[in-house]
Amino acid sequence: MRLALTVGEVLLPLLYLLLFVAYLWVFYENRKFAHRWARRLLATTVVAHLAASVIHARVHHHLPMASPLEFLSLLALSLLLIYAVVERRLRVRETGFLVTGVAFLLQFIASAFSIAEPAANPLLEDPGYAGHAVLVLLAYTALSLSFLYAALYLVLARQLARKTFGLLFRRLPPLEVLERMSVGAAKLGVPLLFGALALGHLWLYDLADKLDPETARSLTPFDPKILTSWLIFLVYLAGLAGHRWWGWRGRRMNTLAILTYLAVVLAMGAIHHFIPSFHNFSLRGGV
Amino acid sequence: MAGRAGLHLWGIDHRLAPTEVRERAHIDPERVGGLLAALSREPGFVSAVPVSTCNRTEIYVEALPGFAPFDSMTRSLAGAGLDPSLFTGEHAVRLTDGEAVRRLYRVSAGLESMMLGEPQISGQLKDAYRLAKEHHELGPVLMRAFQGAFRAGKRVRTETKIGEGAVSVAFAAVELARKFFADLPRHRALLVGAGETGALAARHFLQQGIGGLIVVNRSPERARTLADDLNGGKGELVRARPWEDLPAALADVDVVLSTTGSLEPVILPEMVRAAMRRRRGRPLYVLDIAVPRDVHPDVARVDETYVFGLDDLDEIVQSNLAARRKQLPGAERIVEEELAEFRAWVREMDLRPSVAEFRAYLEDLKEKQVGYVRRKQSDEVAAAVDASLQQFIKKVLGRSMESLKSAESEQERQQHLATLHRLFAPQTSQTSQEPREPSEPHDRP
Repeated sequence: MRLALTVGEVLLPLLYLLLFVAYLWVFYENRKFAHRWARRLLATTVVAHLAASVIHARVHHHLPMASPLEFLSLLALSLLLIYAVVERRLRVRETGFLVTGVAFLLQFIASAFSIAEPAANPLLEDPGYAGHAVLVLLAYTALSLSFLYAALYLVLARQLARKTFGLLFRRLPPLEVLERMSVGAAKLGVPLLFGALALGHLWLYDLADKLDPETARSLTPFDPKILTSWLIFLVYLAGLAGHRWWGWRGRRMNTLAILTYLAVVLAMGAIHHFIPSFHNFSLRGGV
Repeated sequence: MAGRAGLHLWGIDHRLAPTEVRERAHIDPERVGGLLAALSREPGFVSAVPVSTCNRTEIYVEALPGFAPFDSMTRSLAGAGLDPSLFTGEHAVRLTDGEAVRRLYRVSAGLESMMLGEPQISGQLKDAYRLAKEHHELGPVLMRAFQGAFRAGKRVRTETKIGEGAVSVAFAAVELARKFFADLPRHRALLVGAGETGALAARHFLQQGIGGLIVVNRSPERARTLADDLNGGKGELVRARPWEDLPAALADVDVVLSTTGSLEPVILPEMVRAAMRRRRGRPLYVLDIAVPRDVHPDVARVDETYVFGLDDLDEIVQSNLAARRKQLPGAERIVEEELAEFRAWVREMDLRPSVAEFRAYLEDLKEKQVGYVRRKQSDEVAAAVDASLQQFIKKVLGRSMESLKSAESEQERQQHLATLHRLFAPQTSQTSQEPREPSEPHDRP
């Protein structure tokens, strides 16, 4: 098992690199066989990384999130998973190089600087927390992809408005598809976020029963991070409803998606740094 | 040795001949049979494939050395009701053998087309080939040349990007629309004006699968006539609406094609702003192909409205053409590779008669030798000698073929062939001689 982990650490960045190259090939060449190779490599990389994560969890008895580097690796996998779903739905691969490029970078850093056995927070051994954390990761990854496609929409819309018929004009998918990709990613992110929040609440009550009364009192559903997450969920839900029922489309809708995402990042960053929260799972603080 | 069949190409194309000459030289499918029948009466004629499109008329002929190209072709063209002077004058191209094949390969790959790399020529060549095959049996050289040309065309289109990007204004308009909308069938277009240009553009959008078309024109009668014409009696994909409906129609469609002859703009900013409020941010793609322009310049400033004109379409076409031209070296390399394969096949065809003579000579010798052994020894020994000599012949022939194929020049190859022919041709062969008694019968049991 440990040998498999070591092999995985070497192979995974290589697979991610190959995947990135395949998607770059699709972007520049747009040939059938390039598409075929990109599709196959995406499936292979996702399966290989999932297998490596399962082996890791079985060897170390915890979710591979014990260190920032393990987190980066899981983030790379999460990016690929969400992207794979969006790509499969819309069958558009021309933008894959952006996602796989970021995923490769994350995985490369994770593999290059990894340490053998980081000290893990015991919470990571808890299946309730693990499920919550994975869902949170997937949800925010989906919302990040939604942001990326909204940004690409604005780039192409700007090129069209300025009548710049360059490489991006030739290679990017139509505005309509970019919008569908952005909305599609948000449609994945919103239920995932709901699932993450619901599981988090259930796990919170479960955890409170196991802790001493004083610590248990610090666990509150009115934690700033939880409240902000619910707010984010509601804003995105409203955006999706607007798109579905009130015909929100085009540049304005995509600008709104970008601004919302930036607000999410800023709000979460500010809360993390300035407002004390039980929602801190480092070894030193939190529960 | 019998003379080898050669290829002759007689034709005219868009580079040398103006449209009126090309129109007169056009051979419609009904005339192909007559032309082939006339050609088949000419001495030395083997087969022919006439190819006639709007940009070229070319007749590829396979014929034996007895064929007199000029006399035979002019007689046959006249016999088929065509003007032979069109194919002999200043607009004509006449090529033979290797050059004719190169031309065919380049035509198939779209390298000789008016729009570099256009794909339609491939289908047109295949149709011409099929039609010629229906009328008569094609000769081996012509058949091989066309098959090679199809292969070259396919390789050029799949291995290079010579066919990518729109290279006509009509296609560029659709290509641009596809940058907004993924599925044209899910979107509708509005045609403002019922003139010829508008009808052409509308027809093109309909061919590309636009989901519906509304025609508005100052004269409702002309709008209705054009709508009926575009519908072609099938369904109601195209509908005419009164001119007063123009502002409302802008909210119902995603693509606007404007081609009126109006001296003043007919699509105004207030009109578009009102439509955009109803559209709730759905982008509107406006194509103004009228001169003077139909769309007020301020319309481009309305949010989510993208206005393009003829100059923009031309810029896309020029940029795509430049990109296609960059693919030329790669495409030409593929054509030359396929031509080399054709030449190798021709060389092999040339060798066949001489090699057959040589083989016959060796087989004859073998039979006599085996017969001699059979008379002196048992059948088993004769069978063993037969098998052994068969192997020997195979090796000798294989080696000879290799030497002939690898001759450094055509002259050297012809020398080898002449030698082979002189030595082993039936009239000079020594095969009638009885084999002499083996001097050293090493393998006698």
